[in-house]
Amino acid sequence: MKETLEVINQMQADGVIGKYAIGGAVGATFYLAPAATVDIDIFVALPMAVGTSLLSLAPIYHYLKARGGAVEHEHIIIGGWPVQFLAPNDRLEEDAVEQAITTSVEGESTRVMSAEHLVAIALRTGRPKDHARIVQFVEQDAVDRKKLRGILERHGLISKWTKFESEYLGGSRG
Amino acid sequence: MADREMRGKEELYKKMAALSFTEKIRILEKLRDRELAIAAAGLRSKTKASGDTEG
Repeated sequence: MKETLEVINQMQADGVIGKYAIGGAVGATFYLAPAATVDIDIFVALPMAVGTSLLSLAPIYHYLKARGGAVEHEHIIIGGWPVQFLAPNDRLEEDAVEQAITTSVEGESTRVMSAEHLVAIALRTGRPKDHARIVQFVEQDAVDRKKLRGILERHGLISKWTKFESEYLGGSRG
Repeated sequence: MADREMRGKEELYKKMAALSFTEKIRILEKLRDRELAIAAAGLRSKTKASGDTEG
């Protein structure tokens, strides 16, 4: 993954993308025991193109294809890893990118979403695998409950969390 | 017995969660390679099975 991150960091240095953060299963791995995944989700802040209000991932694909990246469906293969680039959909994802934590893999710098943002996004996405991941975060005590509550309140997710708690966490936590 | 197994699993999860990000990513890469190998083997046996029926 070092090579993957080197390419993404270079793309950032070249101004193609702004700040980025690893989310999804790879992001969760920063806090939890590793769980199998075959791709990397990268949330990217995109510089606004001149003369338009639309954000486009096209410059990323042009940049990477010109450097040997192969496109496979919604992924682009970089350093052996299928990478999916995602533009933040809303304020929650924008905050998650903005407030990501800086770390490194084999000496290569990178940024990972906070545990609390990963949980909030998983809660909102709401697939069975997202629910399972939230339970892992709670059971492994990998989330700051106070910080999580603040994020959930700010993004209108408290009622969803209450329902989740009663269904999966015995309704007594948080 | 089940309790002991559960405790053992929790201990293992804790140990793995405490690894560095680099070490965890190495594990992810091994898991990914294994998943891809299993998927490829499944595809091979499907292709073989369909080849058998065609023959």
